[in-house]
Amino acid sequence: MATRVHMEALSPTMEEGRLVKWTKHEGDAVKSGDTLAEVETDKAVMELVARADGQLLKVMVPEGTTVPVGNIVAWIGKPGEKVDGAGSQESGAGAPKPAAAAAAPAAKALAPAPAPAPVPVAAVSDATRVKASPLAKRIAKEAGVDLKLVQGSGPGGRVIKRDVEGAPAPSPAAPVAAPAPRPTPDARRTGVPYEDVPLTQIRKTIAKRLAASIGPIPHFFLTTEIDMERAAEAREALNQQLGEAGGKISFNDIIIKAVALALVQHRACNAWFQEDHIRYWNEVHIGMAVAIEDGLITPVIRNADLKNLREIGAESRELAGRARTRRLKPEEYTGATFSVSNLGMFDIDQFTAVINPPEAGIVAIGSIVPKPVPEGGGDRLVVRRRLRVTMSCDHRVIDGATGAAFLRTLKQMLENPLAMLL
Amino acid sequence: MKVLEVIEAGTIPYAEALDWQRQLAEDRIAGRLPHDVLLLLEHPPVVTLGRNSHVGNLLEPSGIEVFEVERGGDVTFHGPGQLVGYPILDLSAYKRDLHWYLRTLEQALIAALAVLDIPAERNAGFTGVWTRGRKIASIGIHVKQWVTWHGFALNVTTDLAHFDRIVPCGIQGVEMTSVERETVKGKRERLWDESVGAVIAGFENAFGVSVIPSPEGAARQEHASLRT
Repeated sequence: MATRVHMEALSPTMEEGRLVKWTKHEGDAVKSGDTLAEVETDKAVMELVARADGQLLKVMVPEGTTVPVGNIVAWIGKPGEKVDGAGSQESGAGAPKPAAAAAAPAAKALAPAPAPAPVPVAAVSDATRVKASPLAKRIAKEAGVDLKLVQGSGPGGRVIKRDVEGAPAPSPAAPVAAPAPRPTPDARRTGVPYEDVPLTQIRKTIAKRLAASIGPIPHFFLTTEIDMERAAEAREALNQQLGEAGGKISFNDIIIKAVALALVQHRACNAWFQEDHIRYWNEVHIGMAVAIEDGLITPVIRNADLKNLREIGAESRELAGRARTRRLKPEEYTGATFSVSNLGMFDIDQFTAVINPPEAGIVAIGSIVPKPVPEGGGDRLVVRRRLRVTMSCDHRVIDGATGAAFLRTLKQMLENPLAMLL
Repeated sequence: MKVLEVIEAGTIPYAEALDWQRQLAEDRIAGRLPHDVLLLLEHPPVVTLGRNSHVGNLLEPSGIEVFEVERGGDVTFHGPGQLVGYPILDLSAYKRDLHWYLRTLEQALIAALAVLDIPAERNAGFTGVWTRGRKIASIGIHVKQWVTWHGFALNVTTDLAHFDRIVPCGIQGVEMTSVERETVKGKRERLWDESVGAVIAGFENAFGVSVIPSPEGAARQEHASLRT
């Protein structure tokens, strides 16, 4: 059966479009997705695309014609197939404008179109397939309405928004879309990658005022010193176990893993600031700042909390290598939920890193240096390998105590690496 | 947050840039390109005719390349000192509304000009960006399956005499202007860099996107492969 090609709306408020150019002509073979014509409004040109395979049987309007949205501009069908050309051509200017009506129900109150000619529904309608606007389909799906049971009032019996909205609620037996899951405290079990929590009024005010006071992101910094003796011992033991064959585990790998695990316990720090809400991630993706020739890029280790040290080590070496030769794909350096910047190899004791928006935090890792530290209640000094870690927090998301609690967990993990196995 | 990769491509001949954007748009439609892209570049002098062009608006056609292209709008001029932006955006992720898109493009440029201390505004019925009654940026877009190409042209240090060859955008009596002309103190290199930065920031604000740096090498590679 022949398929109509309608004038489409380039915007919800558009009532008519100017067909400026036919790119296919009567008799041309067309495939679904092929461009048939160009439609212009204002300074925009949109391609009108075929939604069926076949032959362009009939072109109903010449180039340069202004056509109301929803009107038939062409027919696609099997070669030789007859189309009810005259009837639909007559429907011209008076035909309903489904897109405009669907977008603005109030438009119904306006004067009705003068004597619209009947659209030849029966001649071409396809009984097995329901014709409906994408908006109507979406609303129907959300409401659980069976489109087959809805009487369409759009052109050619097409089901449009208002038809679906007037449709009866589904019977209990009908499949109903599941209600939106409520946020659960144990969010990681839900299988949902993140949860958007709207900003409360106080959060909005805090965000605005702090941002106005220092730059676009109100940073604050928390520093802690971590004893790395046990992490160093664990690293040596693991590397001995791996032998020469397996890639060595670095301090950086251990730190990335510890940060990821600490974030699992402190979801409040694993978040994005997004103008009107905070996105708390249930997944942990760690951005790893890598210095490249004339700048810096942060490849992302996805789901770092779920990977073992060997996997993290192999992945971070591979990503860092490709980052330096600029062979990273955009999806490999975007989407981190928190970042780690390590300048330990440059003999930096301590530094502050700048947050990579929209993330809310980053930890800056200094060098591991042997230092005398008091022991046994302070009556003697011992030399221990120590590491200074500074966390930069976006104050719009993380408050001082929140950041401090995360840092304490990170410190505990690194000082007692066995805790990472729990 | 939606991601926008910004590629600063330098000076690129019109025909080559057209192929590049068409290819990026096809890749975006087919899903091979996972995110939106903004190409920022300059063209050697060229006149282009949009789908709504009237040949009479090309006053002095000699000595300059002329292209007839699929974007909306009438005749315009591109050349050195003009910041041309080609956003390849999948509007399905924003709004399936070309008027919204045109107005948001204008908003991005108005915000950019505000950063440069130039008061700018819309002129109802005449798409583009205007300042003190003169036109400073032109817009003409094309969309297929809600993926955009073509875009805007902001005069930064453009030699405005070129516009005398045409009736810009088919608006009789329109006076064109540039960032340089509207800026009291203007050093050329600084103006260009500041304008590029301001436009990127304008996009971030108007479209609510997060701009990611383009791995320059990759962009060049991609572009080079199109030249062959």
